[in-house]
Amino acid sequence: MDARLTKIDSSEVMRYLGVRGAPDPELLARVEARSAELMAAAKPRLVWRRLPMTQENDYLIAGQDLRNLLRGCREIVLFAATLGSEAELLIRRAQARDMAEALILDACAGSAIENVCDNFCADLAALAAPDYLTDRYSPGYGDLPLEHQKVLFSALNITRRIGVTLTESGLMLPQKSVTAILGISPTPRGRRSGCTHCPMNETCAYRKEGTTCEDQ
Amino acid sequence: MKTNEFIFLDGGMGTMLQAAGLPVGMMPELWNLTAPEKVTAVHRQYVEAGSQIVYTNTFGANRLKLGEKAGVDEVVSAAVRAAKAATAGTNARVALDVGPLGQLLEPLGTLTFEEAYDIFREIVAAGEKAGADLVVIETESDLYEVKAAVLAAKEHTDLPVWVTMTFEATGRTFLGVSVGAMALTLDGLGVDALGFNCSLGPKQLMPMVEELRRWTDLPLILKPNAGLPDPETGAYTITPGEFAEEMREAVSLGVTVVGGCCGTTPDFIRALVGALQNVPVPGRPSADRRGVCSARRISEFGKVQVIGERINPTGKKRFQQALREGDMDYILERAVEQQDAGAQILDINVGLPGINEPEMMVRVVKAVQSVSDLPLQIDASDPAAIEAGLRAVNGRAIVNSVNGKPEVLDKILPLCKKYGAAVVGLTMDADGIPETWQKRVELAKRIEDACLRHGIPRSDLLIDCLTLTISAQQEQANETLTAVEYVSREMGLGSVLGVSNISFGMPEREHITVSFLTQALRAGLTHPIVNPNLSAIMDAICAFRALSGEDERGEAYIARFAGRKKDEPVRDSHELTLAEAIGRGLKTETRELTRKALETMSELDVVDQLLIPALDRIGEQYERQEIFLPQLISAAGAVCEGFELVRAGLAGKGEHSVSKGKIILATVQGDIHDIGKNIVKVVLENYGYTVLDLGRDVPPERVVEAAIREDVYLIGLSALMTTTVGAMEQTIKALRESGHDCKVMVGGAVLTPEYAEKIGADYYARDAKCSADIAKIVLG
Repeated sequence: MDARLTKIDSSEVMRYLGVRGAPDPELLARVEARSAELMAAAKPRLVWRRLPMTQENDYLIAGQDLRNLLRGCREIVLFAATLGSEAELLIRRAQARDMAEALILDACAGSAIENVCDNFCADLAALAAPDYLTDRYSPGYGDLPLEHQKVLFSALNITRRIGVTLTESGLMLPQKSVTAILGISPTPRGRRSGCTHCPMNETCAYRKEGTTCEDQ
Repeated sequence: MKTNEFIFLDGGMGTMLQAAGLPVGMMPELWNLTAPEKVTAVHRQYVEAGSQIVYTNTFGANRLKLGEKAGVDEVVSAAVRAAKAATAGTNARVALDVGPLGQLLEPLGTLTFEEAYDIFREIVAAGEKAGADLVVIETESDLYEVKAAVLAAKEHTDLPVWVTMTFEATGRTFLGVSVGAMALTLDGLGVDALGFNCSLGPKQLMPMVEELRRWTDLPLILKPNAGLPDPETGAYTITPGEFAEEMREAVSLGVTVVGGCCGTTPDFIRALVGALQNVPVPGRPSADRRGVCSARRISEFGKVQVIGERINPTGKKRFQQALREGDMDYILERAVEQQDAGAQILDINVGLPGINEPEMMVRVVKAVQSVSDLPLQIDASDPAAIEAGLRAVNGRAIVNSVNGKPEVLDKILPLCKKYGAAVVGLTMDADGIPETWQKRVELAKRIEDACLRHGIPRSDLLIDCLTLTISAQQEQANETLTAVEYVSREMGLGSVLGVSNISFGMPEREHITVSFLTQALRAGLTHPIVNPNLSAIMDAICAFRALSGEDERGEAYIARFAGRKKDEPVRDSHELTLAEAIGRGLKTETRELTRKALETMSELDVVDQLLIPALDRIGEQYERQEIFLPQLISAAGAVCEGFELVRAGLAGKGEHSVSKGKIILATVQGDIHDIGKNIVKVVLENYGYTVLDLGRDVPPERVVEAAIREDVYLIGLSALMTTTVGAMEQTIKALRESGHDCKVMVGGAVLTPEYAEKIGADYYARDAKCSADIAKIVLG
């Protein structure tokens, strides 16, 4: 399975940019132009492993939330995806030229990395059929500590395989990178909705305003 | 080193150690201390399989990765001992293995080049002391990091230095380094052998070997993986026999140093030694490509390459002011704008009385590299500034310049040699600029001789035959052109020429400049130094390339001109008011309308009566959610154009910019997200505040130090992650404890007003606009 970046969702980008209501057509055109630019520059990369849920692999799991998510699963999948240094440099360079365009590019990149993760999960679901996938869970969600990044980095050899590095404080560079864990289960799993399990949990502009994206 | 027979390296180390019982999660390097006999056993297996050089178990033995667990010196010396125990009594040698540091260097990361150098220094010094026979820098994807390591090895040991980097199937590393850029840079720095390791199998690396040998004549190293890993399990798939067979094909391209990386074992090395037993060492063609480069982009010699001249304070008041104030943003805009206009190399000149030139050179080189991937030309006369610049460059630079004075040549050329730079030689000496082309050619020959004496090949020398002004010395135009022609046709050298000087003092200068430029190109000029923002100049170069055949089928010409409208009418800015132009984020129109306003109003009035009120109106629209962040920032960007004219006007009158007060901005320690902070900076600057941007991952003590030194009353701190809000709290605490009187505003995605209060901030800035409101309350 290769990393696939197939589309950038303009309405999602608008949401990241804090735009409410019907978008201004001029702004929409700018978002579309930057999306195309980012799609051309980004070189998404992916590394993953599929392992049995055994005692031996239990060190890959931490926190009660993740344990609950993986309950009843036979296998565990670890993955890391990134848009690469190319996207990062594009955004840095844009900041020297025009901060507004850089802001839009940054939001496009946020949507793009989600797309790469979604595509991976779709490909994996096809591979795992007739079994089912759980939602994906990342260090920093719920009670899964950011510290757990180190375990994933070592288990997947992430730095060597896709060039993502981990800072001492547990942040990834290039910034538009994701690590996650999910399970393969013989029974269908409901999607976990609700803010606790959302990656935007702490940074969500809707929540700050006292609403959620589902209310929109 | 031997080049008439193959040299066999070892294979994978990590998996061998795991097979020998290394506990999961333990750093393999620690086994050098706790189980050296097991490390020795692995080395011995490789020596017995035929490895003539084994790599020490020190891939991650640097102070960042070892942390508190062990000292670099003890781990490295134990590792060398363990390897020597295995090679004792054989002819096998021990290479000190130096792997990547695991942290990204600036500009993408926060580790500085100088810190990286110091970390590598510690490793290589320990390695030489312990008795390693050579240094091998491997599995690198960042050319800048390799440069730090190579300099550390060459400056702190007498050992040979080999480098292998890790490439993807695209022919680039994770950081976009190209094969040619690796070769130009490292060959220039004087490494003894170079090549590839890890990443792919031998077969997939063959196209890259073919590319590499076109850029260097150094011995080539190939240490690939055992094919490609199974993505699902991470296991490598090809057998020792298949590996050896693929390697046999790959070495036919001219590789002489061979081994294996991930997934290879002593069995692979044994098979490899067997497969190459009766194979003669392959010959290879000499390298035929040359140029200068950044890590990601090459400017190849032999073609017309435009050098952008705009990063230079000479005669530019506004640029001088930017340098004095350390205003990197202004300089970066000049870099990006020239690259967008078609420059292929950027000249960097920061010479200005009262400026610490070496320090400023490093700062500007690093800043330009963060936004542009063009190769650089270090333009200075002070040897200290030249060396500082050459060190900081990521890639292979040009030094502009030396001249015919023997003392200059003897001082600067050794620096060019050490850092592998190309050289611009000016055809002048202590007697000034000769009036005849023959005398200039004589000086060119003198410079050429000096270069050869210092080990710099002719292909790396560009001669500047010097442009004089026709309004003063009309006959000189022809002398210059004839000299260019001789240098090109008879001496076979490349040349540079600052062309615009030709028309100084003439009306409608462009006609003279373009005509002179075209004639010089025809005479053989390869590197015109120009202002690429002047479209007539770039048009002429584009046309020349189409005529000379360099632009095959005229594709670049067609791309540039097809669809270009004649006399495109400037949007009717008479109808537009300045406020409207700003509101719509129209930069050109804002600049024009500000220029017009400045004809009748003073700079200060334009700011107070036009620019600031327009911004305020935009701010109100933003509050009412009629517009959103991108439009707010666009408006700020447009206002910036207006302010730029005001600043230029004031600088021209020798007055300092108007500032409503100084504000410090920093993304706190541990946090690397800075786009939010950068947006706040743009907005604050457009409201007339002077922002001291301390960057990201800033430790509390640096904030305190800057606040006291610059006497700043308002400090803005940004943090994006919950985990880094702690550092924000510490920074606030440190500021309070210092006794420095100041207000602190905080912002960032995870913050709330309650949280801001809890950690002791004075203000919570919800967004960029809000930070400007706070600044108004605090500073007026």
